[in-house]
Amino acid sequence: MPVTPSPYHRLNPLTKAVIATVGSIGAFVLGGYVGPIAIMVIMLLLAWRAGVLARLARVSLLLTLPIAISVVLVSVFTRAGTTVLFQIGPFDATAEGVDFALQTLVRLFAISLSIGLFIMTTEPRAFVFDLERRGVPPRAAFIAVATIEAVPTLVERATMISESQRARGLDTEGSFLTRVRGLLPIVGPVIIGSLTDVEERSLALESRAFSRPGRRHLLWAMPDEGWERVLRWVLFVLLVGAAVARLTGRI
Amino acid sequence: MTRLDLEGVGFVYPDGTRALDGVDLTIGAGESVAIVGQNGSGKSTLVRHFNGLLRPTDGRILHDGEDVADVRTAALAARVGIVFQNPDRQIFAGKVRTEVAFGPKTLGRSATDIEAATRDALAAVGLSDAADANPYDLGYSRRKLLTIASVLAMGTPVVVLDEPTTGQDARGVARVQQVLAGLVADGRTVIAISHDMRFVAGSFSRIVVMGGGRILLDGPPAEVFAEPAWPVLASSYLEPPYAARVGARLALGSTPTETALVEALAARG
Amino acid sequence: MLVLSGVSYRYAGYARPVLHDIDLRLADGEIVGVVGANESGKSTLCLVASGLAPGSIGGALTGGGLSIDGEAMADKPLHEFSTRVGIGFQNPATQLSGVTGSVFEEVALGPMNLGLTQPETVERTKAALATLGIDELWDREPRRLSGGQGQLVVIASLLAMRPPHLVLDEPTAQLDPEGTRLVGEALRKLAASGTAMLIAEHKTDLLDDLCHRVIALDDGRIAFDGPAGTVLEDERLVALGVDLPSRVRVASALVSRGLDPAAVLA
Repeated sequence: MPVTPSPYHRLNPLTKAVIATVGSIGAFVLGGYVGPIAIMVIMLLLAWRAGVLARLARVSLLLTLPIAISVVLVSVFTRAGTTVLFQIGPFDATAEGVDFALQTLVRLFAISLSIGLFIMTTEPRAFVFDLERRGVPPRAAFIAVATIEAVPTLVERATMISESQRARGLDTEGSFLTRVRGLLPIVGPVIIGSLTDVEERSLALESRAFSRPGRRHLLWAMPDEGWERVLRWVLFVLLVGAAVARLTGRI
Repeated sequence: MTRLDLEGVGFVYPDGTRALDGVDLTIGAGESVAIVGQNGSGKSTLVRHFNGLLRPTDGRILHDGEDVADVRTAALAARVGIVFQNPDRQIFAGKVRTEVAFGPKTLGRSATDIEAATRDALAAVGLSDAADANPYDLGYSRRKLLTIASVLAMGTPVVVLDEPTTGQDARGVARVQQVLAGLVADGRTVIAISHDMRFVAGSFSRIVVMGGGRILLDGPPAEVFAEPAWPVLASSYLEPPYAARVGARLALGSTPTETALVEALAARG
Repeated sequence: MLVLSGVSYRYAGYARPVLHDIDLRLADGEIVGVVGANESGKSTLCLVASGLAPGSIGGALTGGGLSIDGEAMADKPLHEFSTRVGIGFQNPATQLSGVTGSVFEEVALGPMNLGLTQPETVERTKAALATLGIDELWDREPRRLSGGQGQLVVIASLLAMRPPHLVLDEPTAQLDPEGTRLVGEALRKLAASGTAMLIAEHKTDLLDDLCHRVIALDDGRIAFDGPAGTVLEDERLVALGVDLPSRVRVASALVSRGLDPAAVLA
């Protein structure tokens, strides 16, 4: 069993997945300010308890910022509205645009914090083993975890490919246009290489009875306290309730 | 012609791993040098400094006496070509010819030059007949020769090859040896990383042995594979070639290649 | 005993077979080396002998068939092969599952797939690690292993399935000298454990050390088949693009200089 540094890490993976799902869908469904901000605060508190607060805040900012900037630019200046705050050239910044941008921002942050917290506190394979135990087919479970775990390999591969093209004079340090032109020689081998790897890996796994149907016994027991089950159901019901309230126009 | 000088070069990866530690190395124009050592000894990190893919965290790199710290990799690529180990981390074009033309093209050569360079490079590796084939229809060893051609076509004064014989059969190895000999005959500098001791003993005039980010041995094959150097080789998990071991057992002195061994035996009568 | 009788095989989308009329018997405990130039059919032979071709990658046997311990394997589901014949490839990185956090879990994956109970899985995992002498790697993260260690873990993962036959396609091709040495030693231990092996390799020095028998392929056909010593000393292999073992090359160079290898190398 992997080392688990905090009680939050030690929760059943599904519980953490439900918290992440309810957090992100909840932020989306609720809209406005109060709901998403409440979700942000809860996630930050949980992250603090799990000892990953600083890391989560940093990663979530880094991930969200590029999208956030474009959202702000686009919505502040293009959203039709009656209250014009100021003008830049032909563009009007409207109060409605600002309101929309802020609402989108808090949703975005709530979603990235929810998902980020899950990823930082959950071993992907623990999650998958748990799903498998609950009856998800091993093949589907494997594909899910292999996809997540393949990210570092993909990054490594892209680095190596970019090195070999730069060694042939490809300029990746130049202007935006030069960089875009340089993408094909990098993206092409990344995709082809990943496909070959997948093919080789599936052959290698066949030799280990990967395609055998039927039950598997886990190597270790997975924690799943009674209260976690209750919590998951409560969160689920809350989410459904929020969605219904939203759809029927009550919030 | 380009002479490479490394002065006190150290390199630490962002994760804190020290890959190179005070490396002093001069490779003169037209030399043929093999770099050997186990994985993680710093060989690949070292050669990535030759064309600026990596920049030293200590020390400096000079090309013909000029510090290249401020020269972009795209410009250094015109002087030092590197063929990496895995062809599938490089090949992107739908046609062999296009793949080979990519290097000279990015270096801004003229259309006539590109065509001539592509043709010559394909001929040198024996792939002229496959110029219009899809690279992925070629087998692994021919794809590997294709990546060698892609770098040859750039006409760089220095050519670096990372594990050129991996995955090659005897014919492929012979082809690589022929290409190297051609480069040396042209007066170009050839540097290769290799795990194949028989190959390096037979094809290079100088061998640099690395371990733990440092240079452990540096000299001609007869010196590096001589019995007194064996403990140093062993410290980097290297074994001298079979011929050297037999020569030592028969007290024939240093016989790094099979030819040297047979000569020494014949001389003794 | 694994038997290929009169096997011809072609890949999907190609009219021309890659293997022609292959007759190959791998007796219990026997170690057979496969040599040949690139694209002579070595890898394809490995895939066919392990049932992955046509089973997983498609294509078709256009003649003959594979039988293991007297049982015809055609139409058997793929997972049934795993307990009869295991196959290992060149690159440890693409063979490790990529989903486990420790060597122990990695080796246990196969037995778990077989549906074994937890104690049985643990027992087999420990035994496989012990056979190759890599017990101390049990808690290491698979992706952080060296190439040689990774390849040993791959082989241990196959052993945990307890197949009587192993097929290895260039198991040392991607390794540094230390990795090659580690795998070579492991294969010697395996040979002593009675696992029959079919090993395709360019490094004939390794085969010279290990094999009882060697076959040489030429354009998809078996050109030579015989005791390892005899085949690997046959100068005609050179024309097939095969490197003779060091001892053979040196000996024949000595003979050409009028020296007697037996006398000078004794």
